[in-house]
Amino acid sequence: MGLFDKLFGKKEELNPNHIYAPMAGEAVAITEVPDPTFAEGTMGNGIAIKPTDGKVCAPFNGTVDMMFETGHAVSLISESGIELLIHVGLETVGLNGAPFQVKVANGQKVKKGDVLMIADLEAIKAAGLPTITPVLVCNSFDYAGFQGNTGKAVTNADVVIELTK
Amino acid sequence: MKEFKHVIADPLGMHARPAGMLVKAAAGYASKITVAAPTGTADAKRLMALMRLAAKQGMELTITVEGADEEKAAAELQAFLAANL
Repeated sequence: MGLFDKLFGKKEELNPNHIYAPMAGEAVAITEVPDPTFAEGTMGNGIAIKPTDGKVCAPFNGTVDMMFETGHAVSLISESGIELLIHVGLETVGLNGAPFQVKVANGQKVKKGDVLMIADLEAIKAAGLPTITPVLVCNSFDYAGFQGNTGKAVTNADVVIELTK
Repeated sequence: MKEFKHVIADPLGMHARPAGMLVKAAAGYASKITVAAPTGTADAKRLMALMRLAAKQGMELTITVEGADEEKAAAELQAFLAANL
């Protein structure tokens, strides 16, 4: 994207089958999540992020499908139809929302990079819970190919999942 | 067609884990399985749809099972929900 595009606010062209990291941290294989509900892939294929920052950003252009009332998880649908669940930490539903500042509402359109919520990672750790965050493509069965780009440090500028139809 | 009701006992409602487990259980049957809550209706084989119900403790779900294995599916899903949600 050139300087003039930036100056004139041209919309960034994103690959519709790419998912960017919703949080900064280390991207790891979903099998590293110590919870079989996520790790076995029954909720969809995915990756996980060991976050270093509590900011959760939109991983693509799309719509907030369901921000859980407790703020610990959010599902989104991309403009191209990817159904994604971001679940911040494990067992965090039991924290009843305390460590989560929700920034978006159900049905809201978001652009890649928009802040969806801010999690207080220290508060999650203090509650004795893991902060590892599964990022799951709930409709991964709609795609022929799934590639997770894991085993490295990532930010919202990095593609962590590449799908092929 | 088979139909049964289940009142959610889990204090946390239908959050990601029980929804995921239900999808896994439902995926094992050929029948079409629909979950109706006061908040909407969802295909039990689709995680996002189930989570969108935002079904809470005390809400009554009506589960409809329709297909070749509906007898077995309804009986087993009823037991599954009683144990997990």
